[in-house]
Amino acid sequence: MHNETVTLIVPARSEFAKTVRMTAATLVSRTEMNYDEVEDVRMAADEAFVYAVETLEPGADVRFEFQVIGDLLTIDVSLGTGVRNTNDEAERSATYATFILESVCDSYQFVSDESGAHLRLTKQAGTVHAS
Amino acid sequence: MPARGSAPKQSRRLSWDKVYTKKLFRQYRLEGDEDARDELITMYLNLVKYLASRFRNRGEPIDDLVQVGTIGLIKAIDRFDIERQVEFTTYATPTITGELKRYFRDKGWAIKVPRRLQELSFKVSQAVDALTQRNQRSPTIAEIAEYLDVTSEEVLEAMETSEAYNFVSLETDRGGDGSDSFSILEYVGKDDVLMAMVDDRTTLSAAFQHLTPQEQRVLYLRFFVGLTQTEIAQKLDISQMQVSRLLRRTLRVLRENIVRD
Repeated sequence: MHNETVTLIVPARSEFAKTVRMTAATLVSRTEMNYDEVEDVRMAADEAFVYAVETLEPGADVRFEFQVIGDLLTIDVSLGTGVRNTNDEAERSATYATFILESVCDSYQFVSDESGAHLRLTKQAGTVHAS
Repeated sequence: MPARGSAPKQSRRLSWDKVYTKKLFRQYRLEGDEDARDELITMYLNLVKYLASRFRNRGEPIDDLVQVGTIGLIKAIDRFDIERQVEFTTYATPTITGELKRYFRDKGWAIKVPRRLQELSFKVSQAVDALTQRNQRSPTIAEIAEYLDVTSEEVLEAMETSEAYNFVSLETDRGGDGSDSFSILEYVGKDDVLMAMVDDRTTLSAAFQHLTPQEQRVLYLRFFVGLTQTEIAQKLDISQMQVSRLLRRTLRVLRENIVRD
């Protein structure tokens, strides 16, 4: 059984979205996830990254922790201690980000601890069938 | 496992949206209620605005992007199959994003993708179709890699170059180095693809009149919805072999009528 944790820290700038997507996809490509599920993972990682970019202070880094246990992927995204955007547009953006995450992930959760806010996503193989 | 969607405010609103969305789709599709269609468009305009805002730093007015995205939204609403167990957002997001990316591509914003990856991207797409048909399930990345005799990493790179995330130029040698670029037009030829589709649709539409409702349904599920034969069999409560025969017979009838017309 796979049991691997990979940590990725990238600047919160849009040009690093591919790095995040590729890291997530590379990790789950070694599990039993099928093509459609890998596409879901790529979309989830991309969406989580965009959300983090819009949330974090300019110049900040985004920390992703990917963990694969068997055929389950969890992604923990650090959102830092300060929330930059608190206006209506930011709230609307968050609503649709979570809308998309809910569609492509098995679960998502916003949690807070001493290190700040986190977004945690899970995706399990065997949830998307051929179409 | 963490609870699904624990962001309290958004979660309640989204649950309401999903139920109401399904209700509106039923009204539109089953009862032909155009007002329900209009309400769906209005309801999801914020999704369009959100997705359009992802492209806002590329020099195009946001209003134009929202208009383009709205075309994608309308396409998604008209094509969405309410019988599939998939949320509308899951279906609509790539359609809207695709429309926006096509807009940039047509404006010449396409980025250069190495010829090798463009070719591989086509092959991966074909391999997914072939393996899905053969195994009656979506293939894993390792299976696609083995089928194409490439590495898993190359398959993932090819997925990155697909239209879902990047824009592939339709013009030749945009990058200018002259050696490693490749034109999709070289593959698809010079015909106006959209005009050809209109012609095909007209012909098919006439030929469809010769089919029974069940035959039309099987064709619709197989080629428009994209279900596998096994999935169609389950949906119609018949055997996969019956679906296979029905499809063959239906296609034969269709072909005969198209040739005759």
